[in-house]
Amino acid sequence: MSTARFILKRLMLIVPVLFGVSVAVFGLLHIAPGGPAAVLLGPLQNEQIIQEVRSQLGLDKPFYVQYWLWASSAIVGDLGTSWTVQQGTPVVDLIKSRLLLTFELALLAQLLAVLIGIPAGIIGAVRQNKPADHLSRIGALSGISIPNFWLGIVLIMVFGVTFNFDWGTGGWISPFEDPVANLQHLILPVIALGTARAAIIQRMTRSEMLETMNQDYIRTARAMGISEREVILKDATKNALIPVVTVIGIGIGGLLNGAVLTETVFNLPGLGKLFITAIARRDFEVIRALVLFITCVFVFANLSVDVLYAYLNPKIREDGGN
Amino acid sequence: MATKESTTVKEGAQTREHRSQFEQFWREFRKNRLSIVGAVIIGLTLFAAIFAPFIAPHDPATQFDAPEGEHNPLPPGSTLFVEGESNEQITAYLGTDNHGRDLLSRMIFGLRTLMIISIGVNAVAMSVGIALGAIAGYLGNSWVDETIMRAMDIILSFPSLILAIAIIGILGAGTTDYGWISVPNLAKIIFVIGFAYIPRFARVMRSAVLKEMEEDYVDAAKSLGASDTHILTRDVLVNTIPIVVVQATLYMATAVLASAGLSFLGLGLQPPTASLGLMLSNARSFVYSGQWWYPVFPGLALMIIILGFNLLGDGLRDALDPRYSQEGSNDQ
Repeated sequence: MSTARFILKRLMLIVPVLFGVSVAVFGLLHIAPGGPAAVLLGPLQNEQIIQEVRSQLGLDKPFYVQYWLWASSAIVGDLGTSWTVQQGTPVVDLIKSRLLLTFELALLAQLLAVLIGIPAGIIGAVRQNKPADHLSRIGALSGISIPNFWLGIVLIMVFGVTFNFDWGTGGWISPFEDPVANLQHLILPVIALGTARAAIIQRMTRSEMLETMNQDYIRTARAMGISEREVILKDATKNALIPVVTVIGIGIGGLLNGAVLTETVFNLPGLGKLFITAIARRDFEVIRALVLFITCVFVFANLSVDVLYAYLNPKIREDGGN
Repeated sequence: MATKESTTVKEGAQTREHRSQFEQFWREFRKNRLSIVGAVIIGLTLFAAIFAPFIAPHDPATQFDAPEGEHNPLPPGSTLFVEGESNEQITAYLGTDNHGRDLLSRMIFGLRTLMIISIGVNAVAMSVGIALGAIAGYLGNSWVDETIMRAMDIILSFPSLILAIAIIGILGAGTTDYGWISVPNLAKIIFVIGFAYIPRFARVMRSAVLKEMEEDYVDAAKSLGASDTHILTRDVLVNTIPIVVVQATLYMATAVLASAGLSFLGLGLQPPTASLGLMLSNARSFVYSGQWWYPVFPGLALMIIILGFNLLGDGLRDALDPRYSQEGSNDQ
């Protein structure tokens, strides 16, 4: 199977997945006891008001009609209007105003994870069972075991309280206002969010490097007298890093999960914080839109990673990844 | 008759093989000292969780008054007086929380709820995931397989914690009352997190079963007239136990993280339940006033437990079966 056909097949698989996701997200709203209208009204309700609200929200129509109305407007970018977070504001605007923060946070955390995880993994593999490897492995084990929200609290305690840095207690400053302060304030959240990812990337890189370095062509390269440094950095790394790409991609889901907690700890007004606010205020329209949006981001990120992987890995191109 | 005899012979051989397999596993497992550390951590955690009422120095719900001139939360090692005629003194080894409750005792009881949730989450994800994965694998490449796996793809498309937060967010924290059925909070948390992890077990199980189905013994059993259910439950599933054990141990770490995270966000366990995640959530407001012990100890306990499951899971994976090994299954 050619790369193009693999990519085409992968693209076509997206359609049923997105359809399923949208049906599931739509259905989410109806699992609440009494349905969305009862939740929206809270304790102040009677049968007549509930019926009125139901017809206002279109909840009295058959499910497939409701789904069609919702999905057809979602597809053109209309995700409804907020009920209680900011009454009457289109949810798309709420998302837009918070997207930059979450995007910047996730991107920097991913960058930190790659910059620490890959070199640490390579060093671990090259110095297998030596002190540097032990150190790198212990670091990675601690990294995957530390809850990111607790790490965030500890970082605030150390940098915000003990050392009293004004950027050490969270908060957010727009990069257009003050780019330096913006980055400063993101240092701790990025560490809190990126640590676990760095650890996972380290573990994957290390095991892939160890496997690659045992392969024939590496031994041949060594036998040909190519310097160890060149063998490791040029030949081994190039092949070992291909599967690491997948782990980095899967990590986007972990980043989105973690962003909710990190933004809560550091009081960052991003998508995660919006999600939690919407839940606290029972704003189903915002919850539904956010779950759909975040999931679509995740699905398309995975798609791009698969495509990149197919492009990088000649084996997939030959046998279609089977 | 002939079939019966041959089964007995086969089972006898299997037992012998299993014993030596276990010895081999133990030799491998013992070699790695870190796996032993993990096993000890998890053993102690389970022990503390089961025997919490006997181990905890004080009642986790009693609110002790601070001595005059001092305020809760009190630092580790504080002496508190129990009100009444006895004039009894107690020591809060790890300090108290903002309500004057003994931190150590609450942490030990918190381990209990944490273990119940994490084991429950795995039980849900495992039983449903294994059943679906085994059916999909056994009927490989049929429409049943396609339907199950596409459904799994859809669940997997959601970031797991986001899905759990959304479901609980819509149902509301605490007990959910539908009128005809009332779902207790604990059960709800277990099912919601467990649901998100079903596909992971289903996928692993499907590929393991597909691999097993190619083995000669399946053909042999079929030609001997064994039924599909018999082959699947007696032969194929038994051989996939190692991979399931490894997955389950590693997912225990993930389940601990997810349930603590939910409680931290106020969507998991509700006060006054003793919960490590909830303690961290309350402790956040005391960070600025220097009461470091309140957020530090519960978080440290969480980290050690997660580390224990990761070490144990890694050790089991290396010792049991490197064939299906996967890295980075922890998706914090």
